[in-house]
Order: sequence, then structure tokens, then C-alpha cells
Amino acid sequence: MESLYLLIPIALIFCVIAIRLLLWAIDNGQYDDLDKEAWKILADDIEPDKPAPAAQTNDQVDADNGATNTAAKLDGN
Amino acid sequence: MVAGSTATALQSLDCFHCGEPVPGNSEFTALIDGEQRPMCCPGCQAVANLIAGSGMSVFYQQRTAFNERPSGSEQDDTFAIYNDTSMAQTFCSIGDDGTTRAQLLLGGITCAACTWLIESTLMRIEGVSFASVNLHQSRLDVRFSTEKIRPSELFEAIAALGYTPRPFHSNARREQLQQEYKKDLRRLAVAGIGMMQVGMFAIALHAGSIQGIALQYQSLLRWVSLLVASFVVLFSAKPFFITAWRHLKQRTLVMDMPVALAIGIAWLASVWATVRNTGDVYFDSIVMFTFFLLLARFIERRIRERSLQSWIDTEAGLPDAVEVKRGDQWHTLPRKQLVGGEQVLVLPGRVIPIDATVFSGSSAVREDAFNGEYFPRTVNAGDSVFAGTVNTEGLLELTAAGSYLQTRLNALQRSLDSSKHKKPRLAQLADRVASWFVAAILVITVVTAITWLQIDPSRALWVSLSVLVISCPCALALATPAALASSANALRKLGVIVHGDNALATLASCNRAVFDKTGTLTRGRLSLARIVTSPDTTQDEANSIAQALQQYSNHPIAAAFTQTQQLPTLKAVEVVSGAGIEGSDGTLRYRVGSERFCREIAPELEAMPEGEFHWIALCATDRPMAWFGLQDEEREEAGPLIRQLHRAGMQVEMATGDSSGQAKQLASQLAFNDVHTGMNPQDKLSLVQKRQSQGDVVVMVGDGLNDAPVLGVANASFAVATATDLARSQADFIVNEDDLALVGTTLTHARKCRRVIRQNLVWALGYNLCALPLAATGSVPPWAAALGMSFSSLLVVLNSLRLQRQGAA
Repeated sequence: MESLYLLIPIALIFCVIAIRLLLWAIDNGQYDDLDKEAWKILADDIEPDKPAPAAQTNDQVDADNGATNTAAKLDGN
Repeated sequence: MVAGSTATALQSLDCFHCGEPVPGNSEFTALIDGEQRPMCCPGCQAVANLIAGSGMSVFYQQRTAFNERPSGSEQDDTFAIYNDTSMAQTFCSIGDDGTTRAQLLLGGITCAACTWLIESTLMRIEGVSFASVNLHQSRLDVRFSTEKIRPSELFEAIAALGYTPRPFHSNARREQLQQEYKKDLRRLAVAGIGMMQVGMFAIALHAGSIQGIALQYQSLLRWVSLLVASFVVLFSAKPFFITAWRHLKQRTLVMDMPVALAIGIAWLASVWATVRNTGDVYFDSIVMFTFFLLLARFIERRIRERSLQSWIDTEAGLPDAVEVKRGDQWHTLPRKQLVGGEQVLVLPGRVIPIDATVFSGSSAVREDAFNGEYFPRTVNAGDSVFAGTVNTEGLLELTAAGSYLQTRLNALQRSLDSSKHKKPRLAQLADRVASWFVAAILVITVVTAITWLQIDPSRALWVSLSVLVISCPCALALATPAALASSANALRKLGVIVHGDNALATLASCNRAVFDKTGTLTRGRLSLARIVTSPDTTQDEANSIAQALQQYSNHPIAAAFTQTQQLPTLKAVEVVSGAGIEGSDGTLRYRVGSERFCREIAPELEAMPEGEFHWIALCATDRPMAWFGLQDEEREEAGPLIRQLHRAGMQVEMATGDSSGQAKQLASQLAFNDVHTGMNPQDKLSLVQKRQSQGDVVVMVGDGLNDAPVLGVANASFAVATATDLARSQADFIVNEDDLALVGTTLTHARKCRRVIRQNLVWALGYNLCALPLAATGSVPPWAAALGMSFSSLLVVLNSLRLQRQGAA
């Protein structure tokens, strides 16, 4: 049982290291946004599809025009 | 019932992008993942097409909430001002690696998938090296190279996705919140790890006290427990002591008082026992108690602060860029550089940046910021206009009257700041219990000590100490935050965000409700109620011409004519301020607007139809076409809500800026107890304060900028549906869905929450009542004390979780 005199201090050292690490992570901002990270870890492998080059440019032009045309009208809302 | 409406929101007739109902005859769709999806408006269609077109349509599968409907109010050059060096300096900095780092505040982020969409889109842009959205703060951190991309292009890319970017300026309040969040988390982390360590030693000690343990090892385990527990008490439990002491100095007792007493006394007793090698130690109970309590408060706070927008002030609604005349040239300059006497140009649809007089031009300005009215006031040269109001029709050249500090808008902000401290605090149930609790425990301890001194003086000290420790108010202290957090979480799923401190508990005791009218009881926008067409015109024809003309106007009337179909192209469109709109399709000229304006080209127009509507006419050069009856529609949920409040025993009042007869009519129709019309923000404030001084507990429901001060001062307050950001920042509850009935749901929830808090308190007190006699007779060992504390706390938490069940309302 004398080993306790060695093992308990070692446990305490690990405890101190764990606390230091955690405090460092908190100060480093790693816990600033719990909601996003909670989602992200489940959705890590989601990749955007490669846009179809030709279609995309057209769509984008259309979309942009649409947005500008309606800008004035929607403003009343 | 509201849960049902959220679940079934994605019906075929709701917009796939924003979830709002699609107007019956809408022709807008977007091709997403090979399927044509319905869209409510061209704005949503444009955004959805962009998302699908750039291969991001997986976003729609991943999101957990609908997007916001894009406002589409930005003109092409809106963001150009952010390329200006002095402007860019306020939100950009140069990093170590030479890239520019910018922080933007994003409006319209509804779920975590939005962050993915924005990050992925920005990372594709050449020149952007890093993009990360902080969901908690709705903040975007982006690094880019100014050689490849200009700041305005980033703004445009984000705006094209339907979000509203603006520079992120850190302020003292926001910094403070962030600091407190980190401090709370640090305390929680230390308490958590400490709890595990001390718990390990405690198991050995408890096993030892049952089986027998050599004195030297018992002493060793006690000393290391002492070390860890002391650190936790000094570091993590500090706020309890500080709060208790602060209130003690003010001669009030709060829940933190018994908490601090329990932790302090149990710690002192355990230290004494360790040093003298006698008696019992309670280190595990102390640390566990600290951790549980910190955790419950952390969760409760985090739910409340999730979408806290406390940084929003009146100035945030003003444009950053203004057109100013310097010399003979118009320059786009940052608004802050504007000084009194300068000429300012305000385009139609833009917010007026400063209090000013009209120099030239005529238009109509919407002043709902100050009076809640949606009908604009016509202004001509020489009239005064105010910062924060919207120029709806024509180009205005203004002479600035002074700086921002002298504006009416800033006066509103000042009344907001001063009213903030006037919010009356109701004594919380738990705090009232706390004072009785402390007194009772102290009396019982003294009685125990005296009794044991008669029986066995050697045990008197340890038995009275165990009385103090057993009566540990853990469950008592958890009772309120656990129930509040649980309710707030349930409400968030229904679309109501709780962010006032103890708002739910306060709402439950409200006995008087005050409602704003425009935008709260009514939809706050004109909608088409009647169409009376001439014999030779179809409704479709009339609609399409009217829509085609109205899309050129920013007048609130135009909003009633949402575009629902492909429209004929009209040329030479002219908006005549105060009259209407004219346009031509090549062969015919059309006019929509006031009766007189239309009669000029179509004298044979029929007389204005009967009915309590705002009528406008449509005609062509060869014939009159139609009359449109518009009205600010009452929300259909309003009636049932008022009846529910009456049933709940509340007095219901209306306080509105509107002075027309419509308010009185609506009030009597909805059975309001009292109605006050023609009120400015100050009047509303005095009304609520008068009620409070009469002893009423008032809940205020409003939406506009003009409601913001009164929302801040009412005991509990709601900002509903389309509320302005300022109103949201002041309110205790924010209703996100466009559904007034949620106010009633929240009230039901609040009352249910109060019931659960009472149950929790009764249970916690009951537990103490049972445990105290056992402790007083000296028959509770430390391990039983720790177990009892954990079980009674667990029960309180489980009881609170019932509030989250479906149908709890």
C-alpha cells in the first residue's frame, strides 16, 4: 500500500495537466461556439458538389438580375 | 397546437427557402436536387438558384431551420463604401501573414448549416484564405488578400446568399459577455475535474470507513482531498461567496446565501477534521455541489444568451455610407464624417441618415420608427425629416441639421438607456424561501448543539456540523435554474427565444397585458382585401399591370402587390410623389394611385366603392380598370389570444401611436379592457410605469422601434414576428415565427414552469425536513449525506425536464 504515496501525487500531476490543457483550450476560444461544433462533427464529410461550369455562370447571372430587379419592390416590406 | 404548426410547416404551399406561405398564384420555383420547389418571391428564388447552381444544395438537407426571407433592399453600390480605407479600418486589420482580417456581423443565420454554406461559398472565392462563422455570435472571421478581392465583394457574396452582412464592431458589453462566458466555463471545467478527483478519493474513504482503513492512509487521502477541494472552493465557488456577501451588505438574503454558507461551513469543518484527524470530511459533497450548481446556471445562461443582441442600438439601423455634397461634387462618405449644414442626397428606399430639412425634392417618409404608423408623411422643400425614417418615393436633397448626437433617434436611445435601470425586479420565489431556510437551519443547529451538549458533549460539535451539511441546499438552489433552462429550451423549439433574466418566472405572475397595435395585433403591412374590376377587365389583367407598376415604388402600398407572375414590361415609369405611379407598355399609358391622379386620364372612373378600406384606382388611357381595397389586416391569432389572456385572469390594454378610429374599433371588437390611442414612445412608457405603481405586474407586447423603451421597462416583454432589431434587443421574449399565438403559448409555459419550480422547492424542503431529524440524532454518515444530496438534486433535474416534453404546453 506504500505505493499510494507515489501514485496519488502522480494522479494529481495528471489532474493539473488536464486542468491546464482545458483552461488553455477555453482561453484559445475552442469552446466559444458549442452549437456549431456540435453540428459540424456530425456533418464533417459534407462536401459541396462541383458546380456545373456552364450552368452555374448562367444561373448566377439570372439570380443576380432577379435580385436587383426586385430590390426596389421588396423594400416596402 | 403550435408545435403542430412548426412540424407541418413544410407543406407544398410553403416556400422551400424561407418557409413562408407562397401566394396562391405564384409562378416562382427553383430546381433543387432535381426537383422543382415552390418559392414565395423572386428574392428567395434568386438565393435558392444561386445555392443550387453552385452545388451547395446539400445545405437544404442539412439545415434545421428555415432561412430568413431575403430583404433584397441593397442596391448595387451599397457595399462600395467598405472599400474606403477609413471605413475598412473599423473592421479590418492586417494579420502577421500579410492577409487582411475582417470581422463581419451576419444577420439571418438560423442554424449551423448556414455557417457551412457561408464558409464553403467564401472559401471558393479566389483570394480568400480563411473563413469561419461563429454561430454563437453570428460573427464571420475572414482572411483575404486585398490584391485579389475587395471587401465589398465579400459583402456582396454574403448578401447574394440571403444574409445581411455589416461590419462587426466590438463593444464593451459584448466583450464583457464573452469574458464572463469564458470565466464561467473555466470555473465549470475546474469544478468538473476536481469533482472526479475528489470523488475517487472519497470512494476509498467511504469504503475505508465501512471496512476499516489504516489511519495513515485515511490521513493521506483526506489531505489530498483537502488540497483539490480547497482549490475548487477558492476558484470555482468564488461567485457564490461574492454574491452572498454583496447582498448581505444590502441586508437582503438571496439563494446564494445558504449556498455559500453550506460550502463554507462544510469546507471549514472538513479542514478542521483533517488537521485534527477526527470527525468526518465532506469534501466530495462540497465539490459535487459546486459542480452541479455551476452546471445548471451555465446551461440556463447559455440558453438565454444564445441570441442575445444587446449590442444593437438605434444607430445600427442607419446607413454607414451617405452621399454628401463637397464643393460641387457628390461624394460617398462614411456617415460619421457628416456635419451640420452639409447637403445630403437620399435615394428612394434608403434610410434618412440624419435629422435634416428638405432642401429640394419631394417624397413621402415612413416614420413608423417614431409613431408606429405605416402610412408615410408627404414632405416637400422646407419640411423637417428625421434620422431613422425611410424615404419611400422620390429623391431628396437634405440640409443636415446637426450631428447624430442631436437627432431624435439618439434621444430615443437615451430614453432607452435610462429606462433600462427602471425595470422593477420581482423578488424571486427561491430568494424568499432562502431567507426562511437560513433562519430555520441556524435555529435547528443551535437547538441540536444545545441538546447534544446535555447528552454527549464530545459529539455535540460533529452532530451539529452534520446538520448543517445535510441540510445542503443543493436541490433548493437547483430548483429554479433547472426549471427555467428546461422551459427556455422547450420554447426555443417552438420559436420563442427567452433572454430576460428570470423572465419566465416574472411572466407567470403578470396580471396586465399591454399591446401595441400596428405590426403586433395587425400584420403591420397593407394587404389586398378587395378588387373591384371594371366590366371589361379581368382580375388577372388588373393584378399584373398593378404589380408591374408597383414594383417601381417603395411606398408601403407597393408591398401589398407582391409579384406573383411574370409581368408585362413597362417603359417610362414615373413615380409621382403623393399621387401614384405611371407607366406605358408602348401603346397605352397606365396609372395606379389616388382617385384624382387616375381620373386625370380616365374621367369615366366609377365612384370609390363602399367599405372600410384604403382604396386606390388603376386605369389606362382608354378605360378605367379596377379599384383595389387595401387594409392592414388583423392577425387571425389576435382574437383567440386576447380571449386566452382574459381567461387567464389578465386585464388587456391597447396602447398605439395610431390615432384613427380603426384602433378603437379593433379594441372593442377584440374586447380590450382599455384602449389608448395617439401615443408616442414616452406616453407608452408613462402608461406602463403608472400601472406598475398601481401594483400591477405588466407584460408588454410590441414590435417597433417606438416600443423599444417600453419593452425595456415592462416586467416582462415580447417582441413579435417582424420586430425591429432594437425592439428585439430590449424584449425578454422574442417570437421568431410569424405567429402571435406563441405569446399565449409562452404564458402557458411560464405558468407551468412556475408550478414545476414550486414542486421542486417543496421537494427540496421536504428532503431536508426528513434528513434533518436523522442528522440531528447523529445517525447520518458522510457517504449517506453525499448520496442523499445527489439523489434529491437528480430528482429536481428530472422533474424540470418534464417541461421539455412535447405537448407540455
